[in-house]
Amino acid sequence: MKTNMPLSKPIRRFISETERMLDTEITLLRKPDAAPGGTLIDVYSYNLDKNIIIFPANYIGVLKDFVIAKQCTHLFIKGAAAKKSGYKVCSFTEDSVYRGMRQIYLDALKDEAKKEKKLTVKKLLEMLFILYRQFHEDINELPWNPIVNARIYYRMEQLRKTQLYILLKDGKQDMDELSDMMEIIPRRYFVLDKSMFYARDLYLAKTLPSDKLTPVVNIPQMKKFDHLEVKEMLTTRWTHTAWYQSKVFGDNMLTIMEKHLAVDWTPDNSLDYYAALYETGVNLTNALLAFMSMKDWFIWEKPKHLLAAQEQMATYEQAALKRIFGDLIEDQ
Amino acid sequence: MPVSEVPRLLQRAESYIRQTKYREALVLLDQAVRLEPKNPGGWCMRASAKIEMEKFAEAIVDCGQALALNPNYADAWSKKGLALYHLEQYAPALAASIRAVTLNANDASAWYIKGICLEEMGKSDEAEIAYAKSLELEIILDIKDESKRVRK
Repeated sequence: MKTNMPLSKPIRRFISETERMLDTEITLLRKPDAAPGGTLIDVYSYNLDKNIIIFPANYIGVLKDFVIAKQCTHLFIKGAAAKKSGYKVCSFTEDSVYRGMRQIYLDALKDEAKKEKKLTVKKLLEMLFILYRQFHEDINELPWNPIVNARIYYRMEQLRKTQLYILLKDGKQDMDELSDMMEIIPRRYFVLDKSMFYARDLYLAKTLPSDKLTPVVNIPQMKKFDHLEVKEMLTTRWTHTAWYQSKVFGDNMLTIMEKHLAVDWTPDNSLDYYAALYETGVNLTNALLAFMSMKDWFIWEKPKHLLAAQEQMATYEQAALKRIFGDLIEDQ
Repeated sequence: MPVSEVPRLLQRAESYIRQTKYREALVLLDQAVRLEPKNPGGWCMRASAKIEMEKFAEAIVDCGQALALNPNYADAWSKKGLALYHLEQYAPALAASIRAVTLNANDASAWYIKGICLEEMGKSDEAEIAYAKSLELEIILDIKDESKRVRK
């Protein structure tokens, strides 16, 4: 471990154990402009010879410990998978991008027909790939979040208060994401995106357990659904709001999460245990993709494939637009 | 260079430290303590830079200089606690961090060092209290930073 910063004993022990079991090196890096949740740049996803965990420079105490614990747990999952069964991520190809963007376009058409203020063609075309990428990003991150958090909750009790603060903060941020685009993107995708985060927060509220995490209490737009009876909700105008629909879909996603995440979170650290957590995450990802009818949008591939695909993003987007709109799209 | 230049040197050094350019900061801080050796702020800031450069023993000497000039300098106690912790001198590090939080109860870093030292010394219950205080202060700072980011 390379660091010159103070760390609490359990975190130091956990980092050392991760390094020893994965036979790898972890460097901790403090950066003023780091993402609040920290960033993991690891040898399993990138062509590097050591892992780097970056966290915000203003996190000096237990907030820093939690970010490190979270990223280190994720690293352990990736490393165990790489050592045992092979580590893969959700990637994309020219074909899968086409399938995703085409579906978003068809849904957008339905929505646009009902809208008074229609999107310009330029904006509509841009939105197709932006939304596709958003879901790619979310599906590669979201299913791992409850896994990592549940594991930390049961293994590092001293971080629980910090964890609760970070989760509340994350929950609010994730629910706010796309809010300013609510009227622009097709309703279906706004609802599905919110539902994933809603389900995650509810799952964590039940698992951790904390009533403070409940989205219907903490998300301003959802407060009105708290204490409302189903009958009341079904017979009022609430049924038409995107937030109500997010709650309904989110409740279904919660059932999926509970089914797939019925695992023992307490065993000692071992490669087998973390490799099993990886399989759990893969199964949960697949189940969520199936629920959202996005199964053919992405493919499981080695991280190298994803890195190459990301280099080709602009080409894939252009090719998909060409296939959807034919000659209406000019070559660039 | 006149003594009146010292505040400017310290300002520039602080900016370098924020950008994690410790070597550059140290050059300026060496000048600052030479020009105005009776300014505890210069010694304390140099201790900060030295801690980042893992020159812990030298940092403790600088903290000592600052504290000789102002025994109630909370930040110097805090930095001394941190440097001592790195040298695994947990008992004196704990004493320094206790002094730091007594003088400035809003120093999240000092509360955290206090917690770590207590934990190392096997006093988990007391450590938990110190960590809780550190978290409380960190959350306040984080919320402030967050609202600054939103305003931008």
